[in-house]
Amino acid sequence: MKNKRKLTKKDVSKASLRWLFFHQSSHNYERMMGTGFAHSLSGALEKLYEDDKEGLKDALQRNLTFFNTEPQLGSIIPGICLALEESHAIDGDVEPEVILSTKNALMGPFAGIGDSLLVGTLNPILLSIGIGLSANGSPIGAIVFLTLWLAIVLPIKYGLFVRGYSLGLDAVSILTNDRTKKIVTTTLTMVGLIVIGGVASTVIKAPIALQYKAGDMVISIQEILDKIMPNLMPLIVALVSYYLVDKKGWSTNKLLLGILVFAFVMVLLGIM
Amino acid sequence: MELWQALLIGLFAYLGRNQVPWLFGTTGGWYGIGRPLVAGLICGVILGDVTAGVLCGVAVQAIFIGQITPGGAVPSDMNLAAYIGIPLAIAAGGGAETAVALAIPLGALGVALHNFTMTVQAAFSHRADRCAEKADARGVRISNVMGTSVSFLERFFIVSLTCYFGAPFAESLLASLPAIVLEFLAVGGKMLPALGFAILLKQILDEKWMILLFILGWVFMSSFNITITSLVFIAASLSLIYVMAKYSKYGAVQTENGTVNESNGFKDEEGNYEE
Repeated sequence: MKNKRKLTKKDVSKASLRWLFFHQSSHNYERMMGTGFAHSLSGALEKLYEDDKEGLKDALQRNLTFFNTEPQLGSIIPGICLALEESHAIDGDVEPEVILSTKNALMGPFAGIGDSLLVGTLNPILLSIGIGLSANGSPIGAIVFLTLWLAIVLPIKYGLFVRGYSLGLDAVSILTNDRTKKIVTTTLTMVGLIVIGGVASTVIKAPIALQYKAGDMVISIQEILDKIMPNLMPLIVALVSYYLVDKKGWSTNKLLLGILVFAFVMVLLGIM
Repeated sequence: MELWQALLIGLFAYLGRNQVPWLFGTTGGWYGIGRPLVAGLICGVILGDVTAGVLCGVAVQAIFIGQITPGGAVPSDMNLAAYIGIPLAIAAGGGAETAVALAIPLGALGVALHNFTMTVQAAFSHRADRCAEKADARGVRISNVMGTSVSFLERFFIVSLTCYFGAPFAESLLASLPAIVLEFLAVGGKMLPALGFAILLKQILDEKWMILLFILGWVFMSSFNITITSLVFIAASLSLIYVMAKYSKYGAVQTENGTVNESNGFKDEEGNYEE
């Protein structure tokens, strides 16, 4: 299937860039990224069906169907589908049903991997580093975050599309390889947790204003706590919040309200 | 706030909005300049107070750090929260706590607006359908690009107008608040980041013992005089030691099977065998 090709490197690159920019340009609840998907492949399809208007019409309609994934890691899916479309157009080797079911079967898994790896882990880790560097009001953290994020994700987003095209269906087995996935996920998770812990310690604060007075002696509760361990109270606030969200299943809004009520009571009592 | 400042902030809010194509799709937009950390810097530069902008950005970012966007559903629109909350806080002369207090309700409002555009934009998919019927590939592309006009109308005008007309209002509101409310806002604002980090922890912890890594990072940072960059290297070393030890029976080499085995069936077999 790979020895017969009609698309040049330039065609593939153009399709990849179209995906990279326009994947969600008309994102909507009915088709999600379906229109973006067709946009990405449309140029190559025009070339494949140069003098076959009926074929082009079918191909465009086929690629306008519902599609939704994590667009950065999922860029491999339009890449794979482009290879399948090409082989269908050249000798009808691949049935249209295969193209559609490939696309539908892949979007879920890649949404899962992409959301947890890129959006759910890498982005917050880099943001945490940025927060840490900018905690004193310096712009460097924001700049470092943006630079690192773009430098890591853009090559992935562009490259996976091209790789998806050149590998066709073989690409799937590589990216869903269990061992690779485990190593990448574990490393990222561990680095992330340590860094996030460090950053959280600089951002979450719970200062105790309460003082104990006995005659001339004034004992600040905060000073005592600092001698046990610096930043002890905020750590407790963070861990209790995590416990409530994870084990008690509190929603974001409930926890938000909980923290505000807690702060309100503490201020009223003069403890904080 | 001058009109040109409000318009510029509205423009960046649009560019950093979810779905907007111009900055490498969502990569440079929603996940890039749409993050409150970067939005704070941008608003700070436009309004002529970089430090205040960055500090507001850091505070708002900390609350929204754990929010991801699965399947197109937005739990809270941090772009709207940042691009209105931060400029208004700066213009009103309030600090990071003011930005946080404004950001939370704005984030919820943003979700409603997002749902609205996600519904309206279906019209462009239908336009694309009609073009496909006529085998007009160019028309399909144009339909897709046209979709972003709805996002533009929504984000640019709402942010610009709110910043421009809201600034004097926010200023007088802040001046009239009693001291106890300000104190409450300050304390609440300091603890609220715990919310963002709690959600983030829930999301990325996959084994229970790993909560100790969070505590480790916390204790390192607050007990020793180290920077976040040194912490990154400590974290990377510890993680690599663990990962290499755990997966050593496969060989400690971390290259993907796939990049090697493309032309070589043998390695693939080996990889599967060991798995």
